[in-house]
Parts: sequence; C-alpha cells; structure tokens
Amino acid sequence: MSSIKMFEKPLGMRDTFPITYEKTEKVRQIGREFLRARGFDFIQTPSLEYFDTVGKASAIYDASLFKLVDSQGNTLVLRPDMTTPIARVATSKLLKEKIPLRLSYFANVFRAQQSEGGRPAEFGQMGIEIIGDESVFADAEVIITVIHLIQAFGIDSFKITIGHAGVLNCILKDYTESSEQADTLRTLLVERNYVGFEEAVESFDLPITKSNALLQFISEATNFVSIGEIEKYVRKNDSLKYMQQLMELIEVGGLTQYVALDFTLSSHMNYYTGMLFEVFAQGSGFALGNGGRYDGLLQHFGTNVGATGFGIRVDRILEVLPSEPSPDQTVAIIFEEVLFAKALEMAGAYRAEGKRVTLQSLKGLADEKAFTKHFDKVVYVSQEDGAE
Amino acid sequence: MSHLTIAMPKGRIFEEAYQMLIDAGFNLPEEVEMSRKLLIEIPEEQIRFILAKPMDVPVYVEHGVADIGIAGKDTLLELRRNVHELLDLKISQCYIASAGLPNTTMNEIAPRIATKYPNIAMNYYKEIGEQVEIIELNGSIELAPMIGLADRIVDIVSTGRTLKENGLVEYEHITDVSSRLIANPVSYRMKSARIQELVSRMKNIVG
Repeated sequence: MSSIKMFEKPLGMRDTFPITYEKTEKVRQIGREFLRARGFDFIQTPSLEYFDTVGKASAIYDASLFKLVDSQGNTLVLRPDMTTPIARVATSKLLKEKIPLRLSYFANVFRAQQSEGGRPAEFGQMGIEIIGDESVFADAEVIITVIHLIQAFGIDSFKITIGHAGVLNCILKDYTESSEQADTLRTLLVERNYVGFEEAVESFDLPITKSNALLQFISEATNFVSIGEIEKYVRKNDSLKYMQQLMELIEVGGLTQYVALDFTLSSHMNYYTGMLFEVFAQGSGFALGNGGRYDGLLQHFGTNVGATGFGIRVDRILEVLPSEPSPDQTVAIIFEEVLFAKALEMAGAYRAEGKRVTLQSLKGLADEKAFTKHFDKVVYVSQEDGAE
Repeated sequence: MSHLTIAMPKGRIFEEAYQMLIDAGFNLPEEVEMSRKLLIEIPEEQIRFILAKPMDVPVYVEHGVADIGIAGKDTLLELRRNVHELLDLKISQCYIASAGLPNTTMNEIAPRIATKYPNIAMNYYKEIGEQVEIIELNGSIELAPMIGLADRIVDIVSTGRTLKENGLVEYEHITDVSSRLIANPVSYRMKSARIQELVSRMKNIVG
C-alpha cells in the first residue's frame, strides 16, 4: 500500500497558481521581446533526452538527474539544463545552416531534490547561447545582454561577477609545485572554502614566496575593482589580455558599475574554458543565474567551435521582482436562464472594452456571495429589474 | 551602510564570538540580555543577530535570511550547504574522532558506527575503504559501544574526558573543528564592502 496521500506531489514539484502564472508570463513576454529584438531566435528542445548524450555532458551533478528507462531499455533524463540540448541540436543540425548562431530559450528544466524542500525541482530558465563565435565580442555581448535583460525586468540592485578559468589556472599552476596541488586548490574554490584554501596552501610546504603570493591573492581576489590589480599575480598571458579587452568593451557599453571581478570563480565542470560569471540580485538568497564560455561542451558533441551564453532562473526573478496588482478589470455577468442571449451580447460588449468577463448562470451558482467578491464589478441580468 | 543579519549559535559560542566583535571595535552593548530572545537588534551598528541552534546556522545563511553566520566546521562538513567559508575564528576548537571500547576491532561483516554526523562518518569510512553501517543518534553517543549498539562512534572530542569517563578510547582522528565565519553567496556580493570590512576587522582579532 502506498503511503502517499492524495494531495502530495513529488519532492520539489510545485503547482503554479494564477498569480504566479501571470507573473511568469509577464517575465516571458518581456524577455521574449527583448531577446528577439537583439536578433536571438527562440527554440525548444524535447523534455526527455538520452542519459548517454545530454545527461552525461550536462554540468548538473548525476544525483540531481531525473532518470527514466524507455521501452528499449535506454536510460533517459528529464533535461536538467538547456545549454546541453542546444549544444546537441546546434552541432548536429543548426550550425550547418548558419554560423554564428544566436539562440535563446525559455523552458522548464528538472533537477531532483536530495532531501529537503525550499527549492523547486522543476523551474523555468531563460537564456541565450552564441555558438560559433570565439571572439571577445561574443562574450561582451552575452554580459551586456544579461545586464540589459535584468534591467528590462525592472530590477535595479544586482551585480555580475566575472572570472576567467584561464587566469585562475595560470595562477594556480605558477604558485604550486604539482598539478595535484592546483586541483586541490581549485576544488576548494568551487566549494567557496577560503579557509580551506589557506589551510591547504600552508600544508603544501611551498617556497615562502609562492605561498605568500597565494595567500595574498585569496585575500584580494574577490575584491578587484580593475583588471590592473591582478597583474602582479599573473604573468602576461592571453587570458589576461582577453579579460582586459572584455572589461574595456563593458566600459564602452557604460555598464562597469554592474560588474565586479572575481578571479576565484571556478566551476566543477571543466568545459568552462574561458570567462565565466554569476548574477546576483538583492532579494533572493540564491544566484539569479550564471554563464560563460563553454567551448569544451561543443567538443563533446564533436564540433570544434566556440560557444558562450547565460541562463537565468525564472523562479528567482519572480522572487526579486516587486509584486504589482494586476491591471485587469474583471467583470462577472450573472444571468437568469431565459436571458442567456442578452448576457452573451453584454459580455461581448465588455470584452470589446478590454475587460475580463466571466459569464455565470444564476442556476449554476452555489454560493453567490463567495463568488462575486472575486470581481471588480458584478452585473446581474435578470427579468425583474433588467440589467443592473 | 547596508543592514547586516548575523546568524549565531546560542550558548558559549555566541558569547565568545560576541566578545570578538566587541574587540574588533563594533559598538555593541557589553551585556546582552538573551534569556529567550531569538532576535537581537543593534540599531547603532545596523546589525541584527539571529540566535539559532548551531546545526541550523548554515541553513539560515544558505537561504539568505541571514547574510553571514558563525558555524562550527562540523556542521559545515555534515550539511554541505552552499555557503562561503570566509574566516576561521579559532574559537571552540575541538576535533572529530572515532572511538570505541579499548582493544576491540570492528565487526568484519557489517561494522556499525553510531554518530550524530552520518555524512561525515560515511565519507570518512568510504575514504579509508571501509563499508560501514551508520546508526544515527542525537545524543549520548558514548552509550552505543557500551551497550553493544555499535562498534565505533564518530563524535566531537574536545578534552577527551567524556570518552574516558565512559571507558572508551579514541581510535582515529578524523578532522579538526573550529568556528567559522560563513556568508551567503548573494550577500557576499551585494553587501560586499560591509562583509569584507567585518572580515578584516575580525581577522586582526584572530591574529
């Protein structure tokens, strides 16, 4: 016998009630118009993918994947992100038609909950991917787009923190004695464990100049205001030059105030090859979204082109957005059976004025008082007094 | 100056950490009446303290209802919450160890471990290549080997007196523990100046 009660939903699954639905729809509309105007084409991919293709390539941890088995015995996954399916469809088909591609999406993705609630297992994600452009302009476009998009939603208090996998790797490599040490430090940065980083550096028994440099780097690295400040830690290399160019382009866009540098930013996925960033906004305890250059993912699908993009979580945008009352005017027309024709005509007239009209027969109405209080205006169509 | 919410564990750690904040130059009242209060407002410094169970501090911080918090490394290792670990405050220092009755070996077929820290215990034995069965208890862990519930316990040790008084000996030192200053990832960005300033002032006190 199942111990599940009739009202229960699987862990992390949520119903979307009308108020949230309308808010989500507004976010979708704003985002869609905004991104289309910038030349991005919307696409959709299937909810189910093979585990061996999209599931394995995805940056989402295995334990968070919803897995199913199809009738042939193949393992399937509910898509845990949109970047990986888009990489699949781009490499297998779209890139043959146009390079570079500018794609965007608004879709639900699925990530299984381990234990507790407090966060959804299915949520909307909106984002863009620029595929087939390896220039710094593509990365600048991604960052400028995400800033303008968040502004378009009416959010003022937010920050983008940008790092670069290449710069970090160079520092970790130069100041450690082995690749194991560098990997240990990188893992600690992914976990955001700065205390552990300092402890690890001290335990490595590095030459004093190296360990001092690493310790000083970690104490300053999340607070760089300009790219010049990192130069003393890292020898001249392409990644650093790239970041300089990127920051210059963001400055040309007049958006420097929304951007902070964080060279400790690191991802557990090694396909983030270049710059990467996170988006934070006041009002949510969790990051709004993230993005970056992921050339390595396309290689996984067998194509050697660059790709960059971002994804932001719709559920977190809803948390951050101020709630506004609905602008709609609602009208209930309650009619007696014989006057149906008149009620229909009246409803048509109100709808033509742009009102939301509910047509309800008096006969089918169980609790008139409870029903009518949900409307701005109530109109009765009855024989005794005519239309009120 | 942005408002800062700090989640603190109740009890001795609160007092020690509170004193550290005073030493770091924060304008806090010397005596704080905290009998049953769960929220303490310090308007002069734009600080609000949330008093929580130690195990709950990382939860408050992860969800962003507290910007920063003070949490034991044991709770961080056990809960694996998505928070930034900023500073080792070096207070309430102790360690996690395995212990059991003297001169015993673990059951070879299904060794049983009693603990308040199922994740830490599981990870430790996994790493040393032992498959064990975890029995989760909430307190008086030392009882478990004495009454035959488990071969070993995994628990916090500060002086070792509790173990001794219950006739147990320490077997393996698993990890060191102390109180850490942690931050919510969004607050760390959005209130960056305020949090950085607090960290560097606290760092001077830790020495």
